[in-house]
Amino acid sequence: MKLGWKLRSDIVGWALGTLTVVFLAYQWLPILTLGLLSFAGPTGGTTFPMNGVSLHWYAELWKATVMNDFKPPLVRSSLLAAACALTTIVLSVMSAQAMRGRFRGNNWFFYLMLLGIMAPGILVGFGFAVLMRLLGIELAWNTTTFLVQVSWTLPFGFLTMLAVFNRFDSRVEEAALTLGASRITAFRRITLPLILPGVIGAGLFGFSLSYDEYPRSMFTTGPDQTLPLAIMAQLDRQLTPEIYAIGTTTTAFSLIAVLMCSSALWAMRRSTSARRS
Amino acid sequence: MSTIRARSAASYWLAVPAALWMLGVVVVPIVLLAWVSLWGGRTFSPASPLTFDNYTKFFANKTYLQLALSTVGHTAVLMAVTGVLGYGIAYFLTMKVRSPRWRLVLFLAFVVPFWTSTLIRGIAWVPFLGVNGVINQALIFTGATRSPIEAFLYSRFGISMAQASLYTMMAAGPVVYMLNAIQPALREAAMTLKAPPLVVFWRIVFPLTLPGVVIGQVLVFLNVMADFATVATVGGNKHAMLPNLVLLFYEGSQHRAASVVAVLLMACMLIGVIAALRVVDIRRLGADR
Amino acid sequence: MDALAQAVREAPATARPQLDLELRGIRKRYGGFTAVDGVSLKVPKGRFVCLLGPSGCGKTTTLRCVAGLEDPDDGDILIGGKEATRDPPWERDIAMMFQDFALFPHMTVAKQVGFGLEMLKKPKAAIAERVKQVLASFEIAQLADRKPANLSGGQRQRVALARAMITEPRILLLDEPIGALDYSLRETVMLELKLLQQRTGISFIWVTHDQNEAFSLGDLVVVMNHARIEQQGSPEEILQRPATAFVASFVQGNNVFHGRVVRAGDGLLLVETACGSFLVPGRGPTIGSEVSFSVRAELITDLLADPHLNRLAARCTAVEYFGSLRRHVFERPDGEVMKVDQFGAYAARIVAGQRVELGWRPQDTVLHTGSAE
Repeated sequence: MKLGWKLRSDIVGWALGTLTVVFLAYQWLPILTLGLLSFAGPTGGTTFPMNGVSLHWYAELWKATVMNDFKPPLVRSSLLAAACALTTIVLSVMSAQAMRGRFRGNNWFFYLMLLGIMAPGILVGFGFAVLMRLLGIELAWNTTTFLVQVSWTLPFGFLTMLAVFNRFDSRVEEAALTLGASRITAFRRITLPLILPGVIGAGLFGFSLSYDEYPRSMFTTGPDQTLPLAIMAQLDRQLTPEIYAIGTTTTAFSLIAVLMCSSALWAMRRSTSARRS
Repeated sequence: MSTIRARSAASYWLAVPAALWMLGVVVVPIVLLAWVSLWGGRTFSPASPLTFDNYTKFFANKTYLQLALSTVGHTAVLMAVTGVLGYGIAYFLTMKVRSPRWRLVLFLAFVVPFWTSTLIRGIAWVPFLGVNGVINQALIFTGATRSPIEAFLYSRFGISMAQASLYTMMAAGPVVYMLNAIQPALREAAMTLKAPPLVVFWRIVFPLTLPGVVIGQVLVFLNVMADFATVATVGGNKHAMLPNLVLLFYEGSQHRAASVVAVLLMACMLIGVIAALRVVDIRRLGADR
Repeated sequence: MDALAQAVREAPATARPQLDLELRGIRKRYGGFTAVDGVSLKVPKGRFVCLLGPSGCGKTTTLRCVAGLEDPDDGDILIGGKEATRDPPWERDIAMMFQDFALFPHMTVAKQVGFGLEMLKKPKAAIAERVKQVLASFEIAQLADRKPANLSGGQRQRVALARAMITEPRILLLDEPIGALDYSLRETVMLELKLLQQRTGISFIWVTHDQNEAFSLGDLVVVMNHARIEQQGSPEEILQRPATAFVASFVQGNNVFHGRVVRAGDGLLLVETACGSFLVPGRGPTIGSEVSFSVRAELITDLLADPHLNRLAARCTAVEYFGSLRRHVFERPDGEVMKVDQFGAYAARIVAGQRVELGWRPQDTVLHTGSAE
């Protein structure tokens, strides 16, 4: 009985650990299988056996016909994601800074932003499409889709920046102001460099959420599709390992973006902590 | 004092662009849908007379009603599954993993897929669930079953499996945050006050993480309720949830019917979120049970 | 003889003078770092014990071992004469007050204070009654329905104390319990706690780095450094007879010298240091051995007479005032600081910058004899 409680605690630990590892496998296996199957041989189907190992399906992707050419949608999605990231950064820093000013109605503003996360994408997309139709505005990936996607990415950037400002020590700004800096100079020279990691985080949200966005784009892109739409259309036509190839490519693309941002954050944290010591 | 003066005009103007954007793209369209859902007549125009006919038609159809109910039921099941899974994983990652390096590795392995496309992750389940899919191959290989089980792909069960893998992270994330915020001294204090571990958990740890649990549940609720893409890819055309119905009506150019479903969907979500906020006041963390 | 020893050993615990706490050779390592290295301690019934030492000396780890929050790698812990080394915290007859009080943020004061009794499965009505009583005795009855977020520092301290005391444990462990309080509050709280300890007869084990706390509260002061006990004894013993150079230098007002014995005899040693040779009473050390000794600042004088055989010329660098004391700071020939205290009520004779011949009696010099258990 004396050692019993330690043992019991260990058993709970092992049980939860097993659960975690099993879940991680459960979460990753489909992704990894997708990647593996994308290298199937030319006669390979959408499941095992792979019938050889080849780059056949990637080659198919590359020399695709107009019908299932993923290159233009990929370019569109990337451009759109970059634009969304920039807009998200600017607007979320502005609005988080505004929240610090506790303007009248900031509570309502906060809930308005939350609504952007809360409202189902399919409703926003559908509603916006109806609105555009009533207003007689042409749908296009670089106008209407951009507008709708930012309403999705902005709240995430905003919450990120709020969290950053919550932990921000505004005494360093006060120090700058007492040294004669104007508010704008103090913001540019002191505040901005300090919140930069958060800004990058907001940008990452902007890029990644826009790049993968599907329900809002579905109603608002008009004739030229974004990548998720093109994938979905292809899936409706036929399921071949080509889908896996494009899926693997865009997943790799997302992971690289995350990796780059997090290593930037890491480097930045290291440099600031080095300066501190 | 900071770089922004409290209640200054500047703070107001800084918020205006974002506010206008959200109003124009989120609020106006949703209000518009509510309006459209009331349009009667034959033509699709603002001049239509207002009526509840669209709603009456929807509620008169048993299939639609069943669909709405099954969407809610399906969401509830997923909330329960991801809630339990997510709490277990969050607890393990924050409380049981001692080595900071392992904790980081496991945590990254857990959250990184969040940054990839939900659509692709949904599609990734297709080769897993099919009649010749990985699961069936594995089951036959191990001798658990002789003939492949057809119940995985294009089934409610398959959809649930895929969605559980997609949304458990959302249930766990806020819990991880709340667990990290609990000072170790609180648990130790409870122990020195004669509370054994299970009691420490129920009386101290769980109540303090409750806001995280609720926020996680809200996130799962919102996402599963609105997730038509996974239903479409994994469920094929055999299964539909409320949001798929929106799509179905839209593709059939039945905008008013689509609006009705959209309004109902939005209502469900508002009710869910408001109910959650009633249970736990997120702004006042750590209230007594 | 052996049979007698056997009989004594097997006698029921009550037959021997009872100890509230006994530590036997407690050792605790974290990786390559040794936090506690062979700490042994006996606490008789109802004592106020202060574990004193600089941060990182192992005093908090020792306390946490007693609480069961850390597992010692080696050694035994006996609480009330019963082996408790492997008992979990909730089965030990202790309570603990944490540094930042560790109040449960989601519980009201009343719920919080009643928590310990609830865990002991006391009937609800009895708990409510007892909580009421305890809150009243700690003068916090009016706070019963508040949450910790709405309490001041002093109020939190009282709630934490009430929460720990309500189960009437054999030992109360306190980890820097007043470190989080304002200075102005500390004196009063210290006095209250001392009175509470005396009234209840519960043993207090109080961890602090503040020697004022330790010397004004403790019946027994345990000075720790580098994971070991340097000296334990009454405040007087430690102030008057520091056992090691560390204790002498850690306790305010000692001047410490290191040197080599050059002559010995008649209970006196002549010790050669970098500041000259001094007479030190002592018998143990042989000629040639390295020793250290100290002399208290208030026993050094500039009014030299025949008994002041130990003499030293030094320059005064500063004059400071500490309450009723005036402290003259001198620079010793070996570069160390030398402190000489006088009553502030008497007129000052030495000014900063002055070079003065100082002296003290050999019998006022304390030879450090190493850690005495």
